[in-house]
Amino acid sequence: MVAIIKAENLTKIYAGQLKAVDSISFDVEEGEIYGFLGPNGAGKTTTILVLITLLKPTGGKATLCGYDVTKETAKVRSCIGYVSQDTAVDENLTGRENLLLQGRFYHLPKDTLANRIDEVLEMVDLKDRADDLVSTYSGGMRKRLDIAEGLIHRPKILFVDEPTLGLDIQTRHKIWEYIQRLRRESNVTIFLTTHYMDEADALCDRISIIDYGRIKVIGKPNELKNQIGGDIITLKFSEQNGRTEEAIAKIKALPFVESITPVASSYTIVVKNGETAVPKIFEAANSVDVKVQAVSLKRPTLDNVFLAYTGRALREEEGSKDEIMQERMRLRRARQ
Amino acid sequence: MKTNVIVDVWNVNWRELKRFMRQKPRIVMSIVQPIIWLALMGSMLENVVKLPYFRGVGSYLDYMAPGIVVFTTLFGGVFGGLSVVWDRRFGFLNKMLAAPISRSAIPIGKMIAATLVSGLQATIILALALAMGVNCVTGPLGLVAAIMIAMLLCLLLSGVSLALGAVIKTHETLMVVMNFLTMPLMFTSSALFPLEAMPSWLADIARWNPLTHTIDPIRIIMTKGWEWSTIIPDIAVVSTLTITVALIATMLFRRSIS
Repeated sequence: MVAIIKAENLTKIYAGQLKAVDSISFDVEEGEIYGFLGPNGAGKTTTILVLITLLKPTGGKATLCGYDVTKETAKVRSCIGYVSQDTAVDENLTGRENLLLQGRFYHLPKDTLANRIDEVLEMVDLKDRADDLVSTYSGGMRKRLDIAEGLIHRPKILFVDEPTLGLDIQTRHKIWEYIQRLRRESNVTIFLTTHYMDEADALCDRISIIDYGRIKVIGKPNELKNQIGGDIITLKFSEQNGRTEEAIAKIKALPFVESITPVASSYTIVVKNGETAVPKIFEAANSVDVKVQAVSLKRPTLDNVFLAYTGRALREEEGSKDEIMQERMRLRRARQ
Repeated sequence: MKTNVIVDVWNVNWRELKRFMRQKPRIVMSIVQPIIWLALMGSMLENVVKLPYFRGVGSYLDYMAPGIVVFTTLFGGVFGGLSVVWDRRFGFLNKMLAAPISRSAIPIGKMIAATLVSGLQATIILALALAMGVNCVTGPLGLVAAIMIAMLLCLLLSGVSLALGAVIKTHETLMVVMNFLTMPLMFTSSALFPLEAMPSWLADIARWNPLTHTIDPIRIIMTKGWEWSTIIPDIAVVSTLTITVALIATMLFRRSIS
């Protein structure tokens, strides 16, 4: 696999005060969806702004598609698309006009641009509303238009900053679908940031957990979850035929079982790969005629992972006055 | 690369014009307000024109129409910088900057858009002024020249506003600063009264006011004729100032984004 984004000891310090990004290194492979997961203010957006050439790094080095982000800015800009967390679409233009403008910013020839506009409108299901003013769009539609704009010049890498910030649950799932579809139908590499665990889990092939400007851990969501311990099965036996102890001994002997502890009238079993473990545990119990009355399987979530690597739960921090205002604007637009 | 800069300027400009044309109340108000000024003050001060300072101008309306036209382009220019502050706040600026477009094209495109819009407003206001009985001795050609000179001032003021917008990052503050600038600029110019009628300290200020150097040539063209010897120095002053300010604005903008 080829690393399409390479960052080495990337550091950004704002005006001598805050280390927003603190010596981070990571590689993103071509075609993958790579996520930066962390709370607000962790340095996710700063990292994106450095990578897309809008901020100069204080230290370290980054290349995109082989181009240096500080020295070959024009080349970097041509090979990337950027969808900001602000949903920066122009309300006073129609959807089509927004796309037209964006395509022209990338100097696409007229005919190509006309085709691309239809193509991306199709992709985000906005064809019917293309000629309506964006001020009449819902929050989800605006975000879809925004994503379409990021794709108009067929970038090699698409940067998506907090794709579902301020959107309701249904709309979030819709946006996820579009992002997944995008990956299936084109081979664009997607770099996204989010502070939603479920989002990182649903979309990303690999994630970096970032906190206070530092990368705490990098890995596949599943691997990360497995690393912090197994799945948790809660089991209740129905018949006390005296052979429960025997059943427990059998279960304990299974190779994937890490521990079994009685909790009230049930047992908590920590296992690897919970889905495949459940039927085998059933078989073990049945082999000594012990029946299972109730079972539940809990997988560790990225919340647990975040907690394990940062020592605390994902926090929401107060932003500056400007950020709060922007957040309100986003929510207001999302509700329309 | 060079052609790209022009394309980028056009694209930025295209967006601003499209946006403006969609804001109908704004267009109407930008025209109604100066016309009300013209109608009210023109009637109120009708007889003031008999004073010797006015040197035989036909009517006070004739005297003040150039001033009102320039006020219009002044306002158009003053708010030119606001759009960049809004773009910064709503993330549109970053989106443009993430694209491979010329950095300078953003302020230049916005200045040109503000100027074109104000040219349109100036044209409408002049047409209405003519309907109200204002004279232009040099005919249609004189009107075209008047509009172009007024547009020059808009370019200048939009440059000032963009330069401030590059430094002042909140639109509330920028609005206050620009409002603070407009009123003194209006009332220390030759827009409503000739310099000769002012106390000398005020006349001295007025002589330094770029508005005076914009209004005077327009007034000469409309009320006297093509008196090049007075028109050209004024235009030279405003042009030099405009180019300087446009360069500073572009430089400050570039610095604000890096």
